[in-house]
Amino acid sequence: MAAARNIIFLLFIGGLLSWVACDEVPLGEYIFRYPAHFGNRIQVPANNPTTKQGVYLGRRLFYESRLSANNTISCGSCHMQEKAFTDGRKLSIGVDGLPTDRNAMSIANLLWTRKFFWDGRSGSLEDQAVFPMTNPHEMGQSLVASAAKLQATEDYPPLFKIVFGEEKVTGPRIAMALAQFERSLISSNSRYDNYLQHSDTLTTAERNGMVLFNTAPDPGRGLRGANCAHCHGGPKNYLELFHNNGLDLVSKDPGRASLTGLDTDRGRFKVPTLRNIALTAPYMHDGRFDSLEEVVEHYSEHIEQSDALSSFLQNESNVKGAHSLRLSVQEKKELIAFLHTFTDTSFINNPEFSNPFLTTRKLK
Amino acid sequence: MKKLLLLALIWCVQMGSPSALLHAQTGNEPLVKISGEVGAALSLGIKDLKAFKQIEVRRKDRDGKDHLYSGVSLSLLLSNSGVTLGKDLRGENLTKFMLAEASDGYQVIFALAELDPEFTDRQVILAHQVDGQPLPAADGPFRIIVEGEKKPARCIKQVTSLRIEFAK
Repeated sequence: MAAARNIIFLLFIGGLLSWVACDEVPLGEYIFRYPAHFGNRIQVPANNPTTKQGVYLGRRLFYESRLSANNTISCGSCHMQEKAFTDGRKLSIGVDGLPTDRNAMSIANLLWTRKFFWDGRSGSLEDQAVFPMTNPHEMGQSLVASAAKLQATEDYPPLFKIVFGEEKVTGPRIAMALAQFERSLISSNSRYDNYLQHSDTLTTAERNGMVLFNTAPDPGRGLRGANCAHCHGGPKNYLELFHNNGLDLVSKDPGRASLTGLDTDRGRFKVPTLRNIALTAPYMHDGRFDSLEEVVEHYSEHIEQSDALSSFLQNESNVKGAHSLRLSVQEKKELIAFLHTFTDTSFINNPEFSNPFLTTRKLK
Repeated sequence: MKKLLLLALIWCVQMGSPSALLHAQTGNEPLVKISGEVGAALSLGIKDLKAFKQIEVRRKDRDGKDHLYSGVSLSLLLSNSGVTLGKDLRGENLTKFMLAEASDGYQVIFALAELDPEFTDRQVILAHQVDGQPLPAADGPFRIIVEGEKKPARCIKQVTSLRIEFAK
């Protein structure tokens, strides 16, 4: 009985603390923390410096369903932390019940990203955020309507004053705060990160997979490889590239050609980060592959030789004269074992990135 | 009222844009844009490039064989665009570099002094032909060829942009 009373007391105190936590907005410059080998080519616009209060507001907006037309969808609906900010669907479902055009992308380490979306159409996180908020197949609400809804609340105008100096809620300010929160989503604590910093080891299979990952196949010299690092190399497992990776002979989706109008950009899409890749199925711009096994099978056996196929994938094979990698069963397993070392469990469990409304009260 | 109409128009454009993007046309002419610290930014097509003096550079490609590449010296192209080369490549201008970008987003840089014939005899060209033929689609129509450089990593394919910048 005494134990039960203690629990009730602790729950009461916990509840009080969470209310206090909600009301105490941290202030000051937000310091990004990441390993030195990630490099400092970070992207923070001069007119939207990252502050603790901005990240605080941005996190609440990220999980704010009032930013959608029917008050049911937030950014966090399609970018779920436990799935490294993806949603597990081939295509996401918006407020109108219809699917989006493309698969929801993982949002980790966007601090280093310069072009956003599968087709790279957007040059900043501030610009990017506007698309899903206003797209009728996603959140489906104009920025003017979103701003008006938040302006009418009790809690948001004072928060906007702390961040932007005045209580006025505007569309651009919503996007700026969201961008600040998204820049804080840094993943740098996977087993692979720790291996690179000599604080963890890899198994034999994982190490073999790493060698394949980093080696270009050259049957003439007896070198076997998968050459993944050509596009996914470096400590962040991300290079800002756009490629046609041989999914289709004729791509239904023009991809980057929708922006450039160039035939050689048809079916060319952003090379996604491999960070947390084991958590972000299904894969590709249209979510066509359900598993990493299917993805590796594609590169190993099924590269389509279209006119727009990127040059480094043409005749890239472990077998002379073949058009796909042609990895052995064991090599595929080792490669996939290595891909799993990119999973950062502290990233998907970091309370600073989670839905604040689950632990503190909803904003009124 | 006008403001409301404008907002409605912006809303329509934003709401409609993703689907519109999926139905955009292809078939545009590939161009190389020269911009940044230049006299005037310009975009060159294959015809424009052919109007310059053509030179040839021989080097190995990924197949391990020698190939003869034809195109225009980058120093000539850049001088023509008002970039500070030759007698002007001194003082703070020596902190300038050229950022080359390809249609796949790949980027490499060259210090201006690496491209200037008063600094080096090594030719760096914007090629449009290999062994007398137009470059293959996945490599061209424009590719930088660096004479004598051991690694091919800066022989950037499908070049779309040459941007001159100051090191900050």
